Amino acid sequence: MILPSVTHPIGDFVRENVPNILGYLPEFIQPYIPSAEIATFININICMVAIAIIGIAPVPVLIYMERKVCAHIQCRLGPMRLGPHGVLQLVADIAKLLFKEVYAPIGADKFLFYLAPIFVLTAPFLNLCVIPFDKNLQVADLSVAIPFILAMNGFGILSTLLGGWASNNKYSLISSLRSGAQIISYEISFAMILLLVVMLAGSASLGEITASQSGHFWDWWIFKAPGLGILAFLMFLVSSTAELNRAPFDIAEAEQELTGGFHTEYNGMAFAMFYLAEYINLFTTSCIATVCFLGGYHAPTIGILAIDNILNYVPGIVWFLGKAFFVVWIYMMFRWTFVRPRVDQLMALEWKFLLPANLLLLILGVVFLAFGWILP
Amino acid sequence: MSTNVLLPGFREAPLDEDFEEFYINMGPQHPSTHGALRLVLRLDGEKIIEVVPHLGYIHRGMEKQAEKLNYIQYIMMSDRQDYLTAIQNNLGVCLALEKGTKIGVPERAEYIRVILAELSRIASHLVFYACFGGDLGGQTVLLYGFKEREMIHDIFEEVTGSRLTTNFFRPGGSNKDIPDTFVPRVKALLKHLESALSDYDRLLTKNIAAMDRSVGVGVLSKEDAIAYGCSGPVLRASGVSYDVRKNDPYSIYASLDFKVPVFYNGDCYDRYLIRFEEMYESIKIIKQCIDKIPSGPYRSKEKPIFKLPNGSFYAATETAKGLYGTYVVSTGGNSPYRIHTRSPSFGNLAALNTMAKGQRLSDLVTILATIDPVIPEIDR
Amino acid sequence: MGIMPFIPKILDPVPGGKTIVNMVDYVVNWARANSLWPLTYGTSCCAIEMMSSSMARYDIARFGSEVFRDSPRQADLFIIAGTITKRMAPAVQMLWEQIPGPKYSIAMGACTISGGPFRYDNYAVVRGAEQVIPVDVFIPGCPPRPEALFHGLLKLREKIMKESSRNPWKEGALSESEERNRYKEAAAAWAELEKIKDEEMAIAREQFKSNPPENYVPYKAIRVQKETFPDIPLKENLQVGKSTESLFEIAKKYSPEIQIHTENNEILHLSVSKEQYFSLVESLKKDSEMNLDYLIDVTAVDYENHFELVAQLMSITLGHKVFIHVDLLKENVPEETKDNALLASVSSLVPLYPAAEFKEREVFEMFGIHFESHPDLRHLFLDEDFKGFPLRKDFKHPHIIPKPV
Repeated sequence: MILPSVTHPIGDFVRENVPNILGYLPEFIQPYIPSAEIATFININICMVAIAIIGIAPVPVLIYMERKVCAHIQCRLGPMRLGPHGVLQLVADIAKLLFKEVYAPIGADKFLFYLAPIFVLTAPFLNLCVIPFDKNLQVADLSVAIPFILAMNGFGILSTLLGGWASNNKYSLISSLRSGAQIISYEISFAMILLLVVMLAGSASLGEITASQSGHFWDWWIFKAPGLGILAFLMFLVSSTAELNRAPFDIAEAEQELTGGFHTEYNGMAFAMFYLAEYINLFTTSCIATVCFLGGYHAPTIGILAIDNILNYVPGIVWFLGKAFFVVWIYMMFRWTFVRPRVDQLMALEWKFLLPANLLLLILGVVFLAFGWILP
Repeated sequence: MSTNVLLPGFREAPLDEDFEEFYINMGPQHPSTHGALRLVLRLDGEKIIEVVPHLGYIHRGMEKQAEKLNYIQYIMMSDRQDYLTAIQNNLGVCLALEKGTKIGVPERAEYIRVILAELSRIASHLVFYACFGGDLGGQTVLLYGFKEREMIHDIFEEVTGSRLTTNFFRPGGSNKDIPDTFVPRVKALLKHLESALSDYDRLLTKNIAAMDRSVGVGVLSKEDAIAYGCSGPVLRASGVSYDVRKNDPYSIYASLDFKVPVFYNGDCYDRYLIRFEEMYESIKIIKQCIDKIPSGPYRSKEKPIFKLPNGSFYAATETAKGLYGTYVVSTGGNSPYRIHTRSPSFGNLAALNTMAKGQRLSDLVTILATIDPVIPEIDR
Repeated sequence: MGIMPFIPKILDPVPGGKTIVNMVDYVVNWARANSLWPLTYGTSCCAIEMMSSSMARYDIARFGSEVFRDSPRQADLFIIAGTITKRMAPAVQMLWEQIPGPKYSIAMGACTISGGPFRYDNYAVVRGAEQVIPVDVFIPGCPPRPEALFHGLLKLREKIMKESSRNPWKEGALSESEERNRYKEAAAAWAELEKIKDEEMAIAREQFKSNPPENYVPYKAIRVQKETFPDIPLKENLQVGKSTESLFEIAKKYSPEIQIHTENNEILHLSVSKEQYFSLVESLKKDSEMNLDYLIDVTAVDYENHFELVAQLMSITLGHKVFIHVDLLKENVPEETKDNALLASVSSLVPLYPAAEFKEREVFEMFGIHFESHPDLRHLFLDEDFKGFPLRKDFKHPHIIPKPV
């Protein structure tokens, strides 16, 4: 499904050059060499490494950023001692977690217990495969990228449920049941907002959604449909915060009530996986927000040629990451400002407010399209 | 399921066989039990059927040990009961001892006592504010509440030499005189506090999420509040206007002008509001006193050996948590024959089950935060 | 953990391997020392100072100990903040065992060093955290300031930096004999030095006395003027509610035999017989003029051959207080079972005041007074299997050390 469509320039380069290089081999084995398959294999490996790097690399930055944002909101300094302004703090944390003892509690279902932290990393990595970081810098431009993302997000809940159930801890069990209910509910509004974008852009492929926002900054979907885009973006933030299980909607973790929820019983590297996955998920969701609402890798050109030329000179991936980190920053401010709602209140917010509002938004989207109220 | 058995202490009848209830153990190490409290919850899903507190995890046998200490040494023990309002506990013990020995207190000492006690009330309520926000999930609120508290503790440190466990008052006055910098520092603090409190008010009081979590949650009726022996803000939030400072005034509270805020709904939100109002009232009291501190001695004549005559003596004070009573029985010796503390949190915690019944697991955390218990004070 | 113990075994024989082992050690120790995640655990006063240390003014996050974990499985550092009682000790041990290694502990405050103010004459407090779990760093203070906690944290950091994978971390490393002996040796060496110093000082003093320098002026004590304080009589409190005489008249209506226990202007102290206790309280509660609707407390006092039960009642609407004293004669039981036997019995106030439930449980376990028709008469503060009644005057407990005079 993903493999044939490796389209980035490196992929083309590999495809072109692998037969040439293999041509130097002795002639009598030439007919037996599957050069196309070898090229694909090399391509797959390149993609895997690239996704691993782009998934893992932002995490230290994100965690450092989270600590500093949180510290500065709370009138503190945050990590200061390791490296200049504590930049090495995360290195120490991860290295320490690597060398911690790992054990499962008595009575835990050990197989599922250790399976959960492996599952938790799968979903965000697979999501990263379909995201266009720059023109042609994309592993797979799926025509069904949005349904794919939804499916993968649904897969991500599995780890929470497994972890909570396998831990043999009542707090973890309550937490996993809570998060199951929460994520399944919020997935609906999450899907519906993406559906709106699909409807406006006329395609479910992220590449085409990005292409539909080319031009100036008012061509981004957040501005292109006046009023509607902003509303949709705000609702996307709310429902994706719940989807991410982040504070203030972290009823599954709920430190004050459930002492950490589904990862209460995890330690060492297994816990580090949950910790990492939280931030990779955050980055992935920010990327989706960037692609769907903030114009992806397009520069925020303003229509004045002299300035636009300079802005366009900056590579697309820089714009992309800049926008993604801006969305991350919004999530962080959101996290450290609000208090946590109760379980039933969170469900009520979804079913009684967000879902009807989303349906209304979809109808409005149809009206906008029918009357052509979309900015040219 | 037919395995619905009752653990000791639970009284509600077992649910029907269709329901599956379960028990959860909360504490003694749990982030929101405010120390060494252990609760056993009986739950039906997330709904609480019954809560049974298991106390004594920080029972230090203070009352037994006090029989071997002399009276002045016992003041140190009272610091360690409610460490958030240590100076008010000192005051409570000293008042009981003064009643026994008929030692009077000079005017200057009375003013020092009232100002320090009210400062400590503000500090304690700030910790409440912080923990309330923190227990609702707002980590930032937790840090804000402690910020101003540090300033109050700076003043305590300057006056008493210690941040938390002050051990400052003595029968007949105080241990030391206040330094010259005391008055300007308190004035500067009050100026800062007023602006800070209005900020905090804006941050949490009208916050929709916080209101949703606390309005109508953990309702305690007026009758229950009296029957369970609640006191302080918990009692007053249920519509009973009883404040020892007003209804049974000690020190110079009778001559001061302040209101006793009363709210009538008895829910968590009211218990939150009442503490906020009390902070403003405390500021008002300190403002009245701070300019009027008379010169003169800071304590009355010291006896070489402190002894109480035969008999029993009782004094009540209003600490930040509620009615703090000290009951001393003396047989004329150096040390108390029996000394007993009536701690406010103990009474307030007794009403926990009534408040939490039928609420959600998350609400229990809110309710505990608004009771604002200090466990060493309960266990003693 | 894991591969760490095998690194020196494999690399040490290889030429140049020792340097690599040292480097690995350094990196691992550096990570461990700078990322100590403490467990959220506190029992009393020190817990508040521990909280203060993570707040804006002091900010423990600067040292990398920002992440307070609520689950012991994710923590590295156990800051034992506050007194450990005998009832809490098993929980502390369990928490310590749940922390995955390598783990460290800091004993914060005087109570966790030696029992602090609760060391002597106390039956409930464990004398120091080291009785329960191994401790790496002790921080004195009651409670220690946040700065002291940071100092302890930095000391622990120094200790961790000296670890090596050749002698890998194991639980209880400090309290085991080798380390202990090192401290004992150090202490012995120090005592030797002290002795030498004392001898030298004695010689110097002799020399000084026999041959004082020219500018020597002998010390003369200066008398500091003692502050004098005035003798001030106690101010009478304002009269609250009815006078005690009129209250006594009302009470007398219900049972003519009652007497005044102590003369007092503020509080009416009544002395009632055991049989009349419940009915009197009930009728006083219902009486509209008395209206004793609030139970302040129930407590007791132990005398030689009787207990005195004190029910402290108040009218929250009218403001007056009535203390009801009941003398309960101790039952005659054989001397050997006396320590563990309930010696008196009295009717419970729970039907009238739900507040009495916990308070009577406290009196029950502290004095061994049985309360009839109490719904749930179990131990409250003490363990279920605790022997004896602590607040009796003849209470003996093997844990108690009397204070040396």
